[in-house]
Amino acid sequence: MGIGFRIGVDVAAALAVGLGIGYLLDAWLGTKPWLLVVFFFLGAGAGVLNVYRAVRGMGYQVGLRHDGAHDEKDG
Amino acid sequence: MAAEAQHVAGPLEQFAIQPLIPLHVGRYDLSFSNSALLMVAAAVLVTLLMTASVKRGALVPSRLQSIAELMYEFVDGMVRDNAGKEARGFTPFVFSLFMFILLGNLLGMIPYSFTFTSHIVVTFALALTVFLMVTILGIILHGFHFFSLFVPHGVPKVLLVLLVPIEILSYLTRPVSLSIRLFANMMAGHTMMAVFAGFAVSMGVALGWAVGLLPLLLVIALTGFEILVAAIQAYVFAILTCLYLRDAIELH
Repeated sequence: MGIGFRIGVDVAAALAVGLGIGYLLDAWLGTKPWLLVVFFFLGAGAGVLNVYRAVRGMGYQVGLRHDGAHDEKDG
Repeated sequence: MAAEAQHVAGPLEQFAIQPLIPLHVGRYDLSFSNSALLMVAAAVLVTLLMTASVKRGALVPSRLQSIAELMYEFVDGMVRDNAGKEARGFTPFVFSLFMFILLGNLLGMIPYSFTFTSHIVVTFALALTVFLMVTILGIILHGFHFFSLFVPHGVPKVLLVLLVPIEILSYLTRPVSLSIRLFANMMAGHTMMAVFAGFAVSMGVALGWAVGLLPLLLVIALTGFEILVAAIQAYVFAILTCLYLRDAIELH
């Protein structure tokens, strides 16, 4: 449950952040639907990136001992 | 069945905020709520544990002292392994964060108490603190170079137009996913316990006590599981804080 839930949250959070930023920018700049759409896809991309990093750094991100600094930056 | 049940508490009622000492300042409701009470209790308990155990500082530790020392060494090792040696100055910060969340989760397991970590406001405030601290730390340590965190290596220049916004979004996701993870775990667990406890009552009334025993047994198992989740989630929060610290300090 732990790992699946964590990764699911990563995707959902990235989408939510993307949508939130898009919505706020739209309201601010008055470009109603467009930035929302753009940031939806950027958020989806960020979600996939989060999952990719979480899975690649698996074992080290969940807190197992990590023995060197040769990983990519986000684990 | 419904006729004799005057008021069965719904599974979500345990999360209701109740003002204990009402206080309104202007438009803001600053009442001292049950949530605030539990937060104060958690902070006070941690402080008491640490001061009471350190006060005598015996070479052969008492039970209380070895609890405190074990906890501190555990967090210290976690910071050293995950955030690197330079991050050891942040051990007290990670330790207070870890203990506060752990105590909050565990105090919430006491019947009739309240789990403040089941509210996203609380967890988001904690996560935002970590996020802002790490970002400011990175900027202080590396200056403008810190923003190279958002530029992936070995990527064609054209793709950077697309990838840099995605990296920034991914970075901004951190506080959100950190807070959702803690709050959703606590809220889901406690809701599940309340739902199964409700099953135990209603199935026991409707189908006889022997059937009602089944969900009751499940609730007992879930209680153990929830204590485990309480510890694990505090640990996950602290570990991720360490990893973010490492990002800001080492900057790949």
